[in-house]
Parts: sequence; C-alpha cells; structure tokens
Amino acid sequence: MSEALLAVLRPFADIAGNPTFFVEVIVGGIFAGLMYSLVALGFVLIFKASGVFNFSQGVMVLFAALTLVGLIERGLPVPVALVLTMLVMVLLAFAIERAVLRPLVNQPHIILFMATIGLNFFLEGLGEMAWGANVKKLDVGIPDRSFMLKGVQINQLELTAAITAAVLVTILAVFFQKTRIGRALRAVADDHEAALSIGIPLKTIWVVVWSVAGLVAIVAGIMWGAKSGVQFSLSLIALKALPVLILGGFESVPGAIVGGLIIGVGEKIGEVYWGPLVGGAIENWFAYVLALAFLLFRPQGLFGEKIIERV
Amino acid sequence: MTTAAAGPLLVVDGISVRFGALLALHQVSLEIGRGEIVAIIGPNGAGKTTLLNVISGFYHPYEGRIAFAGRERTHLAPPDVAALGIARTFQNVALFKGMSVLDNIMTGRLLKMRGSFLLDALWWGPAKRQELANRAFVERIIDFLEIQAIRKTPAGRLPYGLQKRVELARALAAEPELLLLDEPMAGMNVEEKEDMCRFILDVHGEFGTTIALIEHDMGVVMDLSDRVAVLDYGRKIADGTPDQVRKDQAVLDAYLGAIHE
Repeated sequence: MSEALLAVLRPFADIAGNPTFFVEVIVGGIFAGLMYSLVALGFVLIFKASGVFNFSQGVMVLFAALTLVGLIERGLPVPVALVLTMLVMVLLAFAIERAVLRPLVNQPHIILFMATIGLNFFLEGLGEMAWGANVKKLDVGIPDRSFMLKGVQINQLELTAAITAAVLVTILAVFFQKTRIGRALRAVADDHEAALSIGIPLKTIWVVVWSVAGLVAIVAGIMWGAKSGVQFSLSLIALKALPVLILGGFESVPGAIVGGLIIGVGEKIGEVYWGPLVGGAIENWFAYVLALAFLLFRPQGLFGEKIIERV
Repeated sequence: MTTAAAGPLLVVDGISVRFGALLALHQVSLEIGRGEIVAIIGPNGAGKTTLLNVISGFYHPYEGRIAFAGRERTHLAPPDVAALGIARTFQNVALFKGMSVLDNIMTGRLLKMRGSFLLDALWWGPAKRQELANRAFVERIIDFLEIQAIRKTPAGRLPYGLQKRVELARALAAEPELLLLDEPMAGMNVEEKEDMCRFILDVHGEFGTTIALIEHDMGVVMDLSDRVAVLDYGRKIADGTPDQVRKDQAVLDAYLGAIHE
C-alpha cells in the first residue's frame, strides 16, 4: 500500500530534482494548449453570437488548411494563397448563412446543431473532392527549428503559434467587450427577437461571426498543419477543443485560452511524470476526465456566464 | 421637419393578419398622431400584440398597408423598422440577460453609432469619442429612469419590475419617434405601476415621444392616454378619447362591462 503511494508521489521528487526539464515540459504543454485554444476560439465565437455549437469547426480548420496548401501547391506565392484562402472562408460564411442559417431562423438550438453536423460532412467531402485526400506538407515559411533559452529548449514554430494566439485573443477580447459590433454580437447571442427590435440585422451579424470563425480556423489550420501535416485527422482536433470549452466556458474568449493552457500543460505533465505508472497514454484521456470533473462542480466553466434560471 | 410632419406619424390602414385558419387581425385601421399617447386595449386574444408585431415588422399583414412619417413601409423587416425610429418593449421582457444593465441600454444606441470596424476594434480616435458620447446619453437615461444603483448588475438577476424599466431604458436609448410598449406594467405591484406611469408621462413630456401602449389596467389606461383604441376578436370596435370609449356600448359589452360586472 505504502509502496503504491510512494510510486504516485515519486514524480514530485523527479520534478524537484530536475527543474529545467520540468520547465521544458510546461513550455511544451503551453504550446500544445494554445493550439487547442485556437480551435476552441472558433467554437466560442459562433457560440457567443448565435448560441449554436458549431460541430463543423474542426472541419473548417481542415478545410482552411487544405485550401491554403492546395493553392500553394499550384504555385501561388504564400501571401497570395493566404489572401485567397481568407476570401474562400468569407465566401463560405456567406454561403452558410444563406443555405443553412437563414432557413432555420428561430428554430431550437438543437436543430441548428444538427445542421452543423451535416455541414461537417459536407465540408469534409468538399475538401477531399477539391484538394484530394493525401497528407500534405504545409510550409508557410515559419522555421521549425529549436533554440535554447536559459537551458530550456524552445521551438520557433511553437513560439510563433503562441504569439499569434496571444495577439488574436487580445484583439477578439477587445472587439467583443468594447466595440459596437461586439456588443451587437453578444446581443444576438442573448435574444434574437430583442436584437432585431433594436435594429441589429441578424444576417449581417451571422456572416461577420462565421467569417471571423473562418479566419481563426485558417490560423489554427496553419499552425496545426505546419506541425503535423495537413490530413483529415486534423478535423478530429475539434474533439480536443470540446473539453477546453467546458473548462473555459462556452461563451468566453479568455476562457478558451486559459482552458486550452490548463489542458495542454496538465496533460503533458501527467503524461511525462505519471504516464509510466499506468503504461502511458494519459494525454489521450486527461482532458476529458478534467472536463467531467468541471461538469460536476462548475458546469458553466471558469469564465462562463453564470447559469441563471428563474422559475 | 419635413412636410410629412403635418400628417399623422403612423397610419395603419386596413391590415389583416392570418395564422393558418385563425384571423388574428381583420381590416384594422389606426392612426397615431405626433406626440400622442395611444392605448390599445381589448380582452385576451383580441390581437393587440399582433398589431404591435405588425407595426414593428415581426409579422407582415396579407392585406392593408402601413405608413410611417408619410412613407409606405408595410413589408420592412424588424431591424429596418428600428432604423426608421420605432422602438419597442416586449410583453415577456426581452433583455440581454447575461449583459449588464449599462450594456443592455448601450445596445439601444447601436443604430446611432457608425464607424469603421478597424477603429472600433482598436478603441481609437473617432470610435472612442463616439462611444463616450453615446455613453453620456445613456447615463442621462439611466438618471432619468432612476436605475443608477443597478447599472453594473446583469439584467437577468433583476426583479421583474426593474427588468421592465431597463427594457424601457433600452428602447429610449434609440431616441425613437414612436415608442411601442407591450404591457409595460404587467405583473407589477401598485407602487411599481405608479413609477412606470410617471416615467411614461415624463418620457412623453421630456422627449416628446409618441407612444402606443398595450395595457390591461383600466385605471392606468384612462389616466395616461390621449386616445384609446379597442380591439376585440381581431377587429377594432372603438377608437376615441378615454371618456368616449368608457361610454361606448360595444366596448362595454365586449370588455369593460365584464370588469364592472
């Protein structure tokens, strides 16, 4: 019994014994976490503005990455390809509003959710049809090299991703809290009818928010694609974004970031130090167990709006 | 003011609304003059809220027409109606529950705010000045309606009476020419009703807003309004000053008679 306890506690001694390595693990976790956050951010945006859980966000990431790689492969310079991809994502937002959201106005959220599941398969098929199903290397010119900072190994690509995520989040947070459009977005999320009555055009708001989610998907697609290649398993990272959302709160931009960080760092530490005890693979389920615990004790997440129910 | 200023502010001319087999409104006409307070009354299911929804663009009539400030606008969507200067409140309070009272009222200023997306996001230059100017106006409304103490509270946590007041504040923030109030005093106690009455009269006096309201409390209706329109089973059965309506036989039969027993 005490031997088992000792085995569980031993990793703490390991941490104390080699703090540099511990910092390296944490840094790795932070970078992985920011990647999750980037995907979660797309979910949050759409959820905030329409109360819809967009099941197809993961595929949007894949679709954006595929489009970008496809255009680069056809010999376009990276900046041109990037602008074109942005254009494609905005067009996609218009198409989704027209074909999916507008006919379903005032339907229960679950109906819209189902529609995004349909959208998920449609986009996956469209992406495969247009750009093929092979794994592709995405290279936008960010070097995937590492350098040492005070004895800690840092990857340049991951650092770029981290900075990008930080900038993106700051802009979005200010946008939502301080600006006219941000306020309109929050209003729409809260009550469609009231939003209409004060002159907010739902259609425009939806196009804006899906476009922004599409642009965030491009960033996430570039980072993930550069790291592990553009392939169809990319759409599965949406599944990792789900616990991030539960942790951070579905309608909180900062929540998506903090949630991502907690999960990224948590699962890396768990894997490296406690993984050997249970034969590894903690990384695969850690996020979900943590999410379950949150659902039990703080269902609105860390930053979510408190669930108020009047009877 | 343009030439249109001479005519009535709102003209509803012979509109009918149908939900399936149910005729919710049948050839209802109503004129609201500038600066008037008009009450729309009638038994439950008479079509009062439907009429309000038609005026604010949520429903569209299958016959008849609506003109606002002299211009035809029968088939506009709600945001466009709002842009014309018509604000409204809802029977069941439609506030943005997660947002603070202040933010709720600020949303009412959305139509008054213009500016570039980029400047907005940077909180810079004209965008900032604009935000501050609008903020100042909103503070005036907050003072006016005496809700200073709750300005940072999330709207969803307020008691019902205060929620109604915040909803009124949001509608006022748009500086509407025509204000539509759907049962502004429903579910309030006597004191809250008196407050609300006072606010409506003050709004009318201070901003010169034209007001159309639906209300069940006869005392309130008779005190507040310049004119009363009575609906019953989707038809207008009377229209006149409170005194005229009070004596109208059709109204007594349909409605007031039941109250006085």
